[in-house]
Amino acid sequence: MPPAELQTPHTPHTPPDESPDLTVTVNATVNGTRRSTTVEPRRTLADWLRDDLGLTATHLGCEQGVCGACTVLVDGDPVRSCLMLAVQAREMAVTTVEGLGSVADMHPVQQGCLDAMSFQCGFCTPGFLMAITAYLARRGQTAEVPDGRAPSDDEIREALSGNLCRCTGYQSIVDGVRRAWEITSESAGA
Amino acid sequence: MLSCADDNCKRLRRRGVRELSCRAQLRRACKAAAMKPPPFAYDAPETIDEALGLLDEHGDEAKVLAGGQSLIPLLSMRLARPARLVDIARIAELGQIFLNGSTRIGATVRQCAVERSAELRTANPLLGKAIPFIGHGPIRNRGTIGGSVAHADPAAELPAVMLLLEAEMVLRSASGGERTVPAAEFFEGFLTTAAQPQELLVELRLPAWLPGTGAGFQEIARRHGDFAIVGAGAVVQLDPGTGLVTDSRLAFTGVAGTPVRATEAERMLVGHEPTIAAIAEMAAVARAGLEPSGDVHASAAYRRHIAGVLTERVVKEAVDAAR
Amino acid sequence: MQRFTGTRVTRVEDPRILTGGGNYIDDRNPPGLGHAAFVRSPFAHARVHSIDTTAARAHPGVIAVFTGAELGPHIAPIVTQGPPGMSCPRFTCLATDKVRMVGDPVALVIAESRAVAEDACELVEVEYEELAGIGSIERALAPDGPRIWDDLDSNVLYEEAATYGDPDAAFAAAAHTINETFVQHRITNCPMETRGVIATYEPGRNHFTYMGTLQGTQMARFVISTALSLPATNVDVVLGDVGGSFGQKSSIGHEELAVCGAAKALAGRPIKWIEDRTENLSVGGQAREETVTAQVAFDADGRIRGLRLDMVLAGGAYPIASAPITTLVGTLARVLVPGAYDIADYSFRHRAVFTNKAPYVAYRGPWAIETWVRERVLDRIARELGLDPVEVRRRNLLAADAFPCKLPAGPTLAGITLRAALDKAERVADWAGFRAEQASERARRAVAQPGQPGQPGRVLGLGVVSFIEPAPGPPDYGPSIGFTLPPERATARLEVDGTLSVYTSQAPHGQGHETTLAQLAADELGVSMSAVRVIHSDSRTAPFSMMGTGGSRSATVASGSVIGVARAVRDQVAEIVAHMLEANPTDIEVVDGVARVKGSPDKAMPLAQVAMTAWLAPQYLPPGRNPGIEATFDFRAGDGGWTQSVHSCFVEVDPETGVVKVLRYVVVEDCGDVINPAIVEGQIRGGIAQGIGEVLYEHSAYDDDGTFKAGTFMDYLIPSSMEIPSIEIHHVDATVVTQEVNFRGVGEGGAIGAPAAVCSAVEDALSPWNAKVVEQYLPPSRVLELMGVIPVER
Repeated sequence: MPPAELQTPHTPHTPPDESPDLTVTVNATVNGTRRSTTVEPRRTLADWLRDDLGLTATHLGCEQGVCGACTVLVDGDPVRSCLMLAVQAREMAVTTVEGLGSVADMHPVQQGCLDAMSFQCGFCTPGFLMAITAYLARRGQTAEVPDGRAPSDDEIREALSGNLCRCTGYQSIVDGVRRAWEITSESAGA
Repeated sequence: MLSCADDNCKRLRRRGVRELSCRAQLRRACKAAAMKPPPFAYDAPETIDEALGLLDEHGDEAKVLAGGQSLIPLLSMRLARPARLVDIARIAELGQIFLNGSTRIGATVRQCAVERSAELRTANPLLGKAIPFIGHGPIRNRGTIGGSVAHADPAAELPAVMLLLEAEMVLRSASGGERTVPAAEFFEGFLTTAAQPQELLVELRLPAWLPGTGAGFQEIARRHGDFAIVGAGAVVQLDPGTGLVTDSRLAFTGVAGTPVRATEAERMLVGHEPTIAAIAEMAAVARAGLEPSGDVHASAAYRRHIAGVLTERVVKEAVDAAR
Repeated sequence: MQRFTGTRVTRVEDPRILTGGGNYIDDRNPPGLGHAAFVRSPFAHARVHSIDTTAARAHPGVIAVFTGAELGPHIAPIVTQGPPGMSCPRFTCLATDKVRMVGDPVALVIAESRAVAEDACELVEVEYEELAGIGSIERALAPDGPRIWDDLDSNVLYEEAATYGDPDAAFAAAAHTINETFVQHRITNCPMETRGVIATYEPGRNHFTYMGTLQGTQMARFVISTALSLPATNVDVVLGDVGGSFGQKSSIGHEELAVCGAAKALAGRPIKWIEDRTENLSVGGQAREETVTAQVAFDADGRIRGLRLDMVLAGGAYPIASAPITTLVGTLARVLVPGAYDIADYSFRHRAVFTNKAPYVAYRGPWAIETWVRERVLDRIARELGLDPVEVRRRNLLAADAFPCKLPAGPTLAGITLRAALDKAERVADWAGFRAEQASERARRAVAQPGQPGQPGRVLGLGVVSFIEPAPGPPDYGPSIGFTLPPERATARLEVDGTLSVYTSQAPHGQGHETTLAQLAADELGVSMSAVRVIHSDSRTAPFSMMGTGGSRSATVASGSVIGVARAVRDQVAEIVAHMLEANPTDIEVVDGVARVKGSPDKAMPLAQVAMTAWLAPQYLPPGRNPGIEATFDFRAGDGGWTQSVHSCFVEVDPETGVVKVLRYVVVEDCGDVINPAIVEGQIRGGIAQGIGEVLYEHSAYDDDGTFKAGTFMDYLIPSSMEIPSIEIHHVDATVVTQEVNFRGVGEGGAIGAPAAVCSAVEDALSPWNAKVVEQYLPPSRVLELMGVIPVER
């Protein structure tokens, strides 16, 4: 495990230019909690979550909108938080990995990926978890999917295709999605 | 230092896109670290008039923000640096869709709306076929149809779709009122449209989908979800009695500074039976009429060749759909 | 009790990684943090005439701006080291007189936030005079071309040559010869987490703390302390979770050192630098890019008689600080190129040249060029003679009774199971079934008429390659490459609560060492995994080792050291318990965390009681014994041996578009015993995914003048879930167990075998077009060029 003193307390840095023209108030519901801070309009949603709210589960892999590591849910939809300004999320509901489940009480997606040993270095992981969560939720609501049919590999791979992982070759993540689906189905059936 | 003498680039710089000049230069942007956007002022008007007032006041210092899926990466890489963003996402009026024979799509309707609406896909099958090619789900969840059209990336799907549909872009400004620009005149060059800095794209008007009409849309991309090396779309209408082609349209992405209609090639099919041989001849003419350039992903020769291959594929797809 | 080794126990790392509790460099924000950003060269090669930082310094929120000259007093020039004959230019971490690659850092801005630092970077004005750039090996070698280092008389930074056996005689006697030049393109490691650092200098205690993204701690300590003129013991290197590396983070780069210099200058203030993706793709470190001219002599039966190989490696502008990788790759390729094939007579010349490109760094299987070239050659021989490519491999493999024997360059080959692996691959991958399908599809294609309805036959290909990799190799491997590795040390403490703390010098970055090493320690001590914690990546606690994690060593040496140290702890437990329970130490066993006398279940003590006694009540210990239970163990590499693999890659080529789809991928391999099957499979699959990416998608593209063209994730394409197939993995029964620690590395093989297998499969698919694959990069446009469908455009 990493040394304990690396768990440094979080200190948000204030924007140096406080002129009213260049600051905006962002208020949004993040993981169920109402949050409000004043930031520069240029602050991305990802930076707002990480730097202003200290929610560092969301990772930045490219800030070019490609890798998907920063994927969060905005009003339930997966979006790239590096491609959204914080101010665009005003009055919206944002969900990050911190809002899924805890070590003691994992969300089925987290549990599925734990069981399947889906990840290696863990850097892309938060984006995948949010993309998978949204995928399984949407799939569960879609009438086109007959009840009880497990997602196929092809279907899962398509759903994961907007998230890049450099470690795994994806197969273990596909397995994790299927396992998460099983856990969800079992608990729904119970 | 990364300036470019190209006319398009000059026009872009005048509009606040300072250093982005052409794709090759975008890729050379290694001059300084750039992952956080430059500073800008921000407004989120709630009415169209308010937005038009801001654009009128700030002119080419301001840039319209819709979904941000094209603009924000340019900001983060500091390839665009407008002084002010006018975020139109909170203007309720722009988020509406009207289906009444023709389709009217407000400027801020998100791309995912098409995926989530069978009605919309039925109303315009070409839109339904093209939208899934745009990036990945999370991009389509934020990206707007109007934003993609206004951004006018020649590799993007929706500008080509508008060209194929012969759609009309409704532009409005505080001083000039409203005007309607046909797609054929809207896309002027690389990331450049007929819209003036003071003008806001408020609506896309898609003509009614006529009976007996089929659509095809396909791309060749390096990876699933990437900007295509080349994309092609086709719309074919058949006479239900004779099976002969009554209307035929073909357009490409990724082969020039704008999306391109292959007018000479598409005429070849009209009045004829769309046989495999006829479509192959059409493809040869379409291919010959293109002068694409090469880049890190594919050579010019490859793009020209693929345009021909895709022509055959999308026209067949459209014919099958029309039958 | 449950045995953990060999089972799919879930990963110790995962609860934190899956709940957002990972602790990566950019997650840390110590108070007072200053943020760094670099001004960089847009030119591949230019003189720097002036740098004006006035406006940047005046910008609100800017803490400091440094040019190379201004950083000079705070940090020494970088000194690279290498074997005799290597040109080792001295250079500063910020360029001063000259820039030598696109992205070369010329100034460093420290500000209150990253965004402000970037704002100020834009205000720095640099006047350049552009020089002719070198973007290719040909240009680097041109006698009258530009020179990258003004004080060197050529762009060749290293040259070595060796001859084994008598290749001239072999060529004279051989029935056939081939001459071909094989080109490996430049790629980049591309970890999902870019590089980063937080550097802090505390002047009060003259102490430096480096938190960052590296593959080891001790080497960095020496590099940093040398550069900062501090005692090495005053520098701590403390890593956290590291988001992948694949070799890129094995050395400290210019930027990290510049940040160290700035932190020293701004004493007391932590300075953070997080590399952006464009920086990572352009200067974070790139790999491969070798050209090998091969002359091959072979007999009518397909057996190789001799090889003459001439390799040139394009090393980029700057050698990396800590290891002479551009020379080492040549050495490794020279030693390893025969693999387990009977190639006794060969010559190998290696040259490394400077080019105006990013530094050349280690990448997963750094020597992979040898496998790629050799397997290409074997395919070519098969084609020339009309033989089955697998049959040619079988004819050239050393006979089963040849082992043990030595590679011509020295290392011992023993326990080689490639023939068994080929037999198993033939079965499980069903080559014969595929060949039948391929033949029928080709027949359909031959009769299909253009313009007629119906699908013509599919274009299918199969590539089979076999190779061995030192993972980490036999005891005589180190001497053969001039690089003898020290023993690997682990230390351990039985804590007062009876849990075991294990300290390793490994610095994992995704490999799951907290899991695998805990599995081994738990089994050896006789406790549950939850009673073991593995502590790593901290120079203050790590046992001394200049190596961190890399080189396919951990599975053998870290495992060996941890097993040894856990056993030493258990022996001490036995000694104490035997004394307290009046038994013989050899009769004490530890099961499920309880020490007991064999055969007397009532005579038992939980480890917590043993530990508490040892630490708190030494009066109960054997007379003269010190309190506590701590141990150190040095694992002397022993016979780490060879990991061996046969890869079977099945592809389909769309003949209209040139798009290659990998349909199926089957690995048969022998890595000895497996500690955790899921982790082994993950390593193999990840390596193969990178190898597939390398051939079909990835290219760190430069123009001939050194202009860089792949600086975003839209240009540098790493494969997604849609491009990588499911990968089947089969193990051959482990080789004869000659040693207790029979675990071998699996981190590199996937990336070594896959490029060879994919190229082989594509060439096989294109054989009706008589296409020869001699360049490894095969994007769709290249495939159509090989088929003659479109003209070649360069």
